[in-house]
Order: sequence, then structure tokens, then C-alpha cells
Amino acid sequence: MSEFRRPGRGLVDYDSPVKFSFDGKTYDGFEGDTVASALLASGVHLMGRSFKYHRPRGPVGAGSEEPNALITVTRGKGRMTPNLRATTMEIYAGKETASQNRYPGLGFDAGAFNNVFSAFFPAGFYNKTFMWPKSFWDKVYEPFIRKMAGLGPAPTEVDPDNYGSVYATCDVLIVGSGPAGLAAALAASKKDQDVILVDENPQLGGSLISSPEVTIDGLSAADWRAKTLKTLEKSGNVRLMPRTTAIGYYHDNFVALAERHTDHLPMVEPGRIRETLHRIRAGEVILAQGAIERPLVFDGNDRPGVMLASAAQTYLNIYGVAVGKELVVFTSHDSAYNAAFELAGANVRIASIIDARREVHAHLIEEAERRGIDVHIGMVVSGTKGKKRISEVEIYESVHNDRKRIKCDALLMCGGWTPSLHLWSHSKGSIKWDSQTGVYLPDKANENCVCIGASNGDFGVKAALDAGSKAGGGRKTYKTEEPDFGVGEVFDHLPSYKKSSKTKAFVDFQNDVTDKDIKLAVREGFHSIEHVKRYTTNGMATDQGKTSNLNALEIASKALGKDAPQVGLTTFRPPYTPTTFGALCGYRTDDLFEVTRKTAIDPWAEGQGAVFEPVGVWRRAWYFPQDGEDMHAAVARECKVTRDSLGIFDASTLGKIEVVGPDASKFMNLMYTNPWSKLGVGACRYGLMLGENGYIYDDGVVGRIAEDRFHVTTTTGGAPRVYRHMEDYLQTEFPELDVWLTSTTEQWSVIALNGPNARKLIAPFVEGIDLSPEAFPHMAVREGSIFGIPTRLFRVSFSGELGFEINIPSHFGLAVWKALFEAGQEYNITPYGTETMHVLRAEKGFIIVGQDTDGTVTPQDAGMNWIVSKKKKDFVGKRSLQRSDLVAEGRKQLIGLLTDDPKVVLEEGAQIVADPNQPIPMDMLGHVTSSYWSESLGKSVAMALVKDGFNLMGQTLHIPMAGGVVHKATVVKPVFYDPNGERLNVL
Amino acid sequence: MSFDIKIDQGVEIPEVLQSGRVVAELAGEKVRLSLRVKSADRTAVAKALGFTLPAKIGATSSKVGITCACLGPDEWIVIADQDKGGKLYGKALKLASKYDMSVTDVSFRNIGITVTGEGAADMINVGCPLDLRLAAFPVGSCTRSVYEAVPILLYRRAEDSFTVECWRSFAPYVVGLMAAHRSGAAST
Amino acid sequence: MMLIHCPYCDEKRPEIEFAYAGEAHIARPDAAEQQEMSDAQWSEFLFIRDNKRGEHCERWWHANGCNMFFNAVRNTVTDKFVKTYKMGQKRPSASQISKWNEGGNV
Repeated sequence: MSEFRRPGRGLVDYDSPVKFSFDGKTYDGFEGDTVASALLASGVHLMGRSFKYHRPRGPVGAGSEEPNALITVTRGKGRMTPNLRATTMEIYAGKETASQNRYPGLGFDAGAFNNVFSAFFPAGFYNKTFMWPKSFWDKVYEPFIRKMAGLGPAPTEVDPDNYGSVYATCDVLIVGSGPAGLAAALAASKKDQDVILVDENPQLGGSLISSPEVTIDGLSAADWRAKTLKTLEKSGNVRLMPRTTAIGYYHDNFVALAERHTDHLPMVEPGRIRETLHRIRAGEVILAQGAIERPLVFDGNDRPGVMLASAAQTYLNIYGVAVGKELVVFTSHDSAYNAAFELAGANVRIASIIDARREVHAHLIEEAERRGIDVHIGMVVSGTKGKKRISEVEIYESVHNDRKRIKCDALLMCGGWTPSLHLWSHSKGSIKWDSQTGVYLPDKANENCVCIGASNGDFGVKAALDAGSKAGGGRKTYKTEEPDFGVGEVFDHLPSYKKSSKTKAFVDFQNDVTDKDIKLAVREGFHSIEHVKRYTTNGMATDQGKTSNLNALEIASKALGKDAPQVGLTTFRPPYTPTTFGALCGYRTDDLFEVTRKTAIDPWAEGQGAVFEPVGVWRRAWYFPQDGEDMHAAVARECKVTRDSLGIFDASTLGKIEVVGPDASKFMNLMYTNPWSKLGVGACRYGLMLGENGYIYDDGVVGRIAEDRFHVTTTTGGAPRVYRHMEDYLQTEFPELDVWLTSTTEQWSVIALNGPNARKLIAPFVEGIDLSPEAFPHMAVREGSIFGIPTRLFRVSFSGELGFEINIPSHFGLAVWKALFEAGQEYNITPYGTETMHVLRAEKGFIIVGQDTDGTVTPQDAGMNWIVSKKKKDFVGKRSLQRSDLVAEGRKQLIGLLTDDPKVVLEEGAQIVADPNQPIPMDMLGHVTSSYWSESLGKSVAMALVKDGFNLMGQTLHIPMAGGVVHKATVVKPVFYDPNGERLNVL
Repeated sequence: MSFDIKIDQGVEIPEVLQSGRVVAELAGEKVRLSLRVKSADRTAVAKALGFTLPAKIGATSSKVGITCACLGPDEWIVIADQDKGGKLYGKALKLASKYDMSVTDVSFRNIGITVTGEGAADMINVGCPLDLRLAAFPVGSCTRSVYEAVPILLYRRAEDSFTVECWRSFAPYVVGLMAAHRSGAAST
Repeated sequence: MMLIHCPYCDEKRPEIEFAYAGEAHIARPDAAEQQEMSDAQWSEFLFIRDNKRGEHCERWWHANGCNMFFNAVRNTVTDKFVKTYKMGQKRPSASQISKWNEGGNV
């Protein structure tokens, strides 16, 4: 076994050895190890290169706060995850891991020249350097920055893993399973509450796992933890969730939890969920996130082997790993003495304790001396040496200018403790500065939430347990034996004899921000901590400044000559730790990413090889190519057959609203521009709906089914907003009307038959309706049956041909369609899609709301004054139509365009000008809204919104295209086909 | 010519949801009516129809083959088996001439999916954010809500049995989400 | 995701069931009033809205719930609902709102 292992210690399974690889080399570890602990056990501290200077780095921490040891884990095609913290990645047999941000290798890195030239990379380097010339950005600067600075490469393959997402509700959500969290769960579970207890680590218990010297109510911390977990498991009302990170805390106690199911497993069967996003609504939230130890800021504090004292404790007590053979401890807080003593007890030589403070409690010094540890009071570490790992520290005393060198293979540091306020801050709980300890503490809650234990500044096991019990609704006070957590001193500056230009003391390890960078930012005029943060990028890396924020604040405050609270703290934002996009998407990927609504007839169209297009969230058949036809050929054929004989079209997506009640026609009068009172039962009318601003909002055919019942249709995409618009006016402006609205879009399948043979086709199958033109004229609706299925049969036409729209209950839509198609063979029936539908309607000059109108088109602009009632006293939009701007001359108006070259089909959206020779920028008159090849007319037809268009009839306009081609077109009325509507009357 | 006019709900329950702890099934063809009745006429209309129109939003009344849920201040949905509900629409239409009310047939607008078994509530919570603990959403509760991107009608038939109704074209998405959860849950 | 108290359902429901519907208490003038209004006055009604910092009266729609529009007082700074109330109820006075504020949220 490795000389760094301490068998008998930790939670790893010494009977289950595990081999894994790091940068291509195989290493040994045990089940329960992390990549970091196993590498440390193998004597490896160098695990990565830093972001900007490519400096060699080792782990600073032992958990999710880790800034340095970022690795890439690969487990097969598409399963490459960069930027994972080696300190939280559990190993399994065959796990492949690699360091990042180095070339060609971790030991020798070409990018490290950045380090040599670091004087040229000060704070704001990017902002200052990569500014000009502008043209350099794309080709020179950005690729350079991407290559030289940065983290692991982003994966390029599709992620084959599955992710989940669920909602859940609980009475109490507890974040953190240390002594405070466990005691809270215990108390809450006794109150018969639904409790969820989450912890980001694989083992629950937090600091209790690495506190072997602590006893609770007479039990060792380990035994108490085990007993408590057993009690909670048995309780039936507590859900324990290890490997689960509370990533964000939102309104009304809505907390997002990311649970990792498989990253720690060697074998993952296909289809298994990798991570689940739990969206929890909690009655009460108890935050017991603990505290994070603070690094000290001194020259060379980033050398591999320099780490937090508590991290060394964790490696020893959870993983049975000694981080070195000969350690130096550098501290400004008592707690590091306990770490030193514990390591000493595990047969690790502690060369010295260096304490920056001038005064230290005598019993600590005695305890140290009893163990043969030198203590240097009032001294600091002024430099470190070593390449892949620290080999020596230099210590310094400023008053007598004493210097001394000490050999070591690891340096533990402790600059005090920072309570974790991340989630508390997400919840908008306020914080207050505690000048005594130099930290921010929770102040006033904004949600039903408490912050307890070390995250509330209550350090020590008993304080945490008692606070937990109280927060969980209990009254228990615990008896503990534990070393005094002690006190510390916060230094905003550590003395050094070196010229500052010769030192590199890191504050933010991951983003390579030094104390000098922060001071420079202040000198350059950045006085708010938010600005200092953005200029130096301190705290903006993937660790979000968990170890750096408070040190940065202290340094900035000193440089500004202000108290810390006046400088402020940067805002914590979700997620707490980096979260996969997979977890955020949950089940909503691929087919489930967004709803695709399909009609009852859709499967038939798919079977026929239709090409589809999305319309809103519907997918609709676009055209039906036959025998290798392209779209142009298919549409030309569909148009021709429809005009010559018979076409069949799935119009089911049209929005439908049933307007019912004694005041139905009054309501219709208010919602539409045209009058409805006199529309007879069984008659239809085209309706135009405006917004209150007078612009066209929607349109559609409305049939009167009964005196008190209208069958309203809307555009496909407009259905939801039209329903909302109507419901809004009905409830809030016209509540006195006795009328009710029901969406019936999906009650009905709608089959549109168009063409001279439409009547002939349906006649044999319709019962209860006289289809003769006299009994059933154009724009009428009848109820009867077709193939024995009840139908609302509309005689309407959006093509200019004789047309019927057959509404049948949607569960029969497919069957009726198939039957009609079969029977229609005799008439060479052709199915057509939305493209042909658009061509046919454009030939007739019928508008599509949203294509030929854009939210600024009035009925008058669209040439539809005929549909605006002059007699009605009121309808939505009426007053706006009188606004001076809306009746002004020279508005954009909807006209037709015929290209001089009939073969040219204009591009929809193309801009229209009067004089193509005008220098750029030209005066643009408007744009083409609809444009198609008309097979029936043997020429192209187009509609356009053109300034003062009605007064330009017969004139030639120009449509200049990219590439220099200019099309010419003549302004005409937008009715190209059968202007008198005679084809509707075919017998 | 003779034609085979088949009824088709346009959705199938994926195999993974057909067995196991929680099972999903299509509710089959139902008669569904949207009733809107002014409060003054509520009891009279209920009497004429032969079942209760509960006054409280979210409450339901049930008799054999007919469930009536109050969805809004003046809104009820009636979901009935075909044999019980066949004549309901005509009956309600006739009442509409006498009372301040409206009735609209929405039988074919919705698809009903029943979800039954231990942990059925969890399956609903995959997409629905409501608190489905028994105290908050007791047996007999019925409400509109959402299932991820889909508007739904949710009815608790028993402690471990729900009916989710949604518009026809949304049904494949709803069962797809349930199936994705089941496939994942089965392996996790 | 917030919880919003629907005054018709009389319970708190997830925000995702609701849709925001603009500022409250802007009554649509009737036909006669519309004709008496100048273009400027009509534009005011159509387009001009408060951009309030603090308690704002606004409309919400319980679209995926009871389908009712209702009014709410919401603090635009804290994003907390002070009170929700049924459509047709009068705009609460400043003193009423501060009373509600003292009484805690609904």
C-alpha cells in the first residue's frame, strides 16, 4: 500500500481496490476514493494548469469549492465531461480522466510562457489588449484566447445519456447533512413532517465524518452519525438524497436539486438516467451548508501541495490519505491546530506551525510542543519552492526581518472560515457584516427559511446540533465533547520583504487573479466590488469565488480605505456548482423538447410521403411530392388538379371557438368589425378581428349554428391568443353579457374539399343535408352526417373554387378522410398541403394574417374597408380606426404585383423601391409579403405592402436583389384569378 | 362502395407503461360536456340533469358512469361513459332554452389517460407542479393544470389513481413524458 | 417559480398556470365616451402605462386553472404579491395596501 495511505482511517473500502487512469497512466485507489484522493495517495499533487498563466496546480480543497483540480472525464462516445472537480469525482474501475489546459502535457506545458510574461497580463488584460483593430477579433484574438486561456474543451458529440426532471412538495427541505442538518432532520421527522435532506457528497454526515475526536451524547461522532442515519431511514417521512446538489433557490421556497445517479458507477446500462432535476416546493427551507475555509494570500500560495488545512483533514478522515509526509501548517485561525494535531496523530510529521498572529492561546502552543511541533508565532510564509510539488517554504518575521527555510512536501493553510451563504443569497435573504470574525452572516430571511450551523456563524458541533434541533421544531440540547473550534484573525495583508513586482499571491486560483490585480483595479478607478469583480474576473470562474470572494473583499477594502460592508459583496447566483445542461433539460430533449401537435389525419399524410412544415406548434403537410417531384412541381400539380377537378386538404388546425349564450351575437358584434345580429342560422360570414389599437388581429369564417350559438374559426397560429383576447374582453369589459366561450379546435377534424367536383364527391355520402346550390348556397353551414358520422358541413372556399369544409368529430377524422380519398379517385382527387393552399388563396387575393399583415395594418390598409361596419356604435378597435395617424395619406397599403418577366417569382420579404439607381441607402417603399408561381395563370403573382400603394396602380416598381439583379413589377389590384367569383357557382 | 369508419384516439400507450408498479391506460371513448351555468340556476339545472353540480372549484360529484367537476366559478365539465352520457347533450341543450347556461360538446377534444398504481402521484408530478399529497389534493379533486408544456385536466379517482385529460394532439407528448420517466425510473 | 393566490380558486397555485395580463384598473371607455375623446386622450388609454417601482396593480389570468382574470397588487421591487382580488373590485387605496402589507402576504 502507498506510503500516503493510512489504513483503518476513512470510509473507503480497502477490500475493493480500483484502477483508473489519469492522463493515460493507471493509478490505484479504493472504492470510495475520489480522483483527487486516489492521486494524492499515489503522491500526485499536480492535477491541472491554471486558466491564464498555465501555472501547475494541485487541489486546494477536498470538495465542491475546489478551484484548481479540474479534470475531464471520458466514458465513451459523447460521454466526455470537462471541468469536473477531481475532488468530487468518485472513481470506479477503468475510469478515464485527464488534466486540462496544457499542451503537450501536464508536466511540461508550452502555454506556461504566459506565466513568464505575466507582467503583461494584468487585471483587465483582455479588455485592454484585444481591443483593436476590430478586424483582428474573429481571426486572431478570439482563437488565441480560446486556445491559450481556458478550461477543458467542450464536447462536440451528442450526449447519449438520459436525464430526468420531476416536481415534488415537502414540508421541510434541509440542505446539508452535517451535524446541523442531521439534527434538524431528526427533529422534523419526529413532528411527522415530510422532510427532504440533501447533500452534494456521496456520504451524508458532513464534518461529522472527519471529526474522530468528537463525541455526541456519549457516542463517537461516527457512531452517532450512523445511528442517526438509520433512524432517519426508518422514519418513513424523511427522504435522504446524497449526491444531490441544491443548485438554486427561487421564489416561494422553490428549490432546484440536481441528483447524480450514475457518474460514480463503473457500468451504466443504456437508457439509465444520469441526473435528475428535482423541482422542490418546500414549506420551510433549512440551510445548513456549513462554511468554507479561507486560503491565505502569500507569494507562491498556488504551488501544488499547498492546500486548505480542513482539506487535509478530510483526505485523512474520509479517504485515509495523508497529503504528505512532512507538512508545514500556516494559519491565522486556531482551527488549523486541530488539523495539525489530527494529522500528527496519524503518523504524519508536522514540521512547523506558522501562525501569522502575534498572540495565540497558550494551550495550543503547549499541545503543539507536546507533539514535538515547532510553532512560529507572528511569522508568515513569504515564499514557496518546488516544481510539481512544494519542496520548501520560506518563513518571515517583519519586525526583526527574520527569514528561515523549512523543507516540506505539503503546506496547509487556514485564513479562517467563510459561512456559505450562497442559497441564502439566492433567496434574497439579507446579510450583515460581522466585524469580529470578518465574515458576512445571514440577517433577515426573505422566505420561510433559516440558516443554521456554521453557515450561520455558529461553529462547533454542539452549536450546530442544537441549532438543528431548534430549526427542525425540536428542543433537544446535545452533550458533546469536542475540541474548541477557537478564534482567528483576518489579515487584509500579509507582510513580505519582497518587491511586489516579484511576487504572485493568488486570490482567485481558478481565474488566476492576484492581490496585485485587485489593487490595480482599485487604482484604475473601480470602486464597487461588482466592478472589481468584472474587471479582474475574481469570483467569475466555475467555482464562483467560493474560496476567493472574502479575500478579494478584504484586499479591495484596504486598497479603498473603506470598511468591508461599505464595499459590499458580490451577488451569488445559481447554480451553486456547475450543472449539466442535461439536468436542466430533464426529459425535455428530442421529441419531448417541445410539443409537436399533429392532426388526426397526419399519419395518413406521413404515409403518403408528405413534406411537413411547422405552423406554430402544429406540424402541417406542406406538399405531397410524387415520383421524385420537387416542391415546385408538386405544388404546380396540386394547384392544377384542384382547380380542374378536386383537391383535399387537412384544415383541422384552424382554431375553433364555440360562442354560446343569449348574448352571443352582441358579443360577436363587439369582437369583430362586421355585424352579426342579422346573420341567419345556417349562414356563414367572414369575420375580421382587430386589436383595440385598430390593427388586424385575426380573421376567419364564422357559422351561426343556432340563434345563440356561433362556430368561430381562427387562424391556426392565432387560436390561443384569439381565445385569450375574447375571454379577456368578456370577463373584464363586457361581464354583463350572457355568453360563454369554449375552445373546440380539437373537437373537430376539418377536411377541406375544393374544386369543381367537390359536391359530386360528397353527395352520395351526406345525409340530412340538401346539397343543391339553392338549398345550400356559398357561405352556409348545415348539420347532418357523412358516412354516418355527424358533421357540421360548411360551404366555404379559401381557393376560389367550389368548396366544402367537413367538420367531423376528430376521432373519426382519419377514417372519413381515407373514405373520401378512396371515393375521390374517380375525380383524380389530389391531397394538397399548406403551400398549395397559400398559392390558391393568393391567386384570389385572400390575406394571411401574420404574413400579409404584420400588426401595423388596418383594414383600410389591407383594402378591406368593406368589412368595417359604419353603423355599429362600438367594436374593439373602432375608435382607433379614427386616429389621425391611421387615416393619414401615404400609409403602407396591400397591393398586387405582377413581374415584368412572368417567370420571375419575387422573394418574400424583398424590399421595394421606386428608383433602383438611387445611391444606398435607398428609400424603401415597402416589401413583398406573398409571392408564388401560379400554374393556373402561367405567371408569378405577388402581394406587397407598399407606401401609398393604392395610388400607384399601373406604375412600375423595382425590387433590387443581392447580387445586383433588379426585378421590375407593375402594381395591380391583388385579385389575380376569377375576379368575379364565378367558379364558386359551378354545378 | 363501403367504407370502414373506425374510431381512433390518435395515441397509444407505450409498452413500458402497460405493466409495472404504475400503469397507464387510455380511458376510452367518453361523453364530455362543457357546462356553463349562472349560479342562480345551478341547483335547478343539476336537478334536471340528475347529478350534482358542485359549487366549489376543484370539487367533483360522481354517480355511476358520470363525473361532474367544477372547474371555474360558473364552469363544469361532465365526463360520462358512453352508455350513461349518450343522451346528456340533447338533454342539456333543451335546458339551455330555459336557464341561463350554455352547453358545448367536447367529447372528442380530450383524451383521457388513467394512471394507476403505487406512486401514481409521482408519475403525475413528473410534469405537474401541484402539491399532490393527499391532504392538499384529496381523492375526488379535479382541476386544470399543466403537464410540462401541456394544459391538462387532472382528476384524482383514488389515492393511487388519477385521470389526466388533455387535448387530443397533446396526448402523445404526455404519454411520451410518462414513458421517458418510467424508462428512466425502472433503471435508476 | 412563484406561488400565486387565485382569488377564485382561493388557493395558492404555481406561477406556471398563470399568465400576466398588464396593468389593472384601466377601464375601456364606452362607445359614447370613445367618441368624445381626443386622439391624445385615446392614445393615453391605449398606450400609456405606469412603470411603477413598488406596489403595482396588475391583472393576471389563471389560464391553466379556473380560467378567470383577476387583479393583484404586486411589489415590483421585491416581486412579492401583496394581495390578489376578484375582477370588478375597486382599486385598493394606498392605506389599504399598507394595511395588507402589515398583515403579511396572502
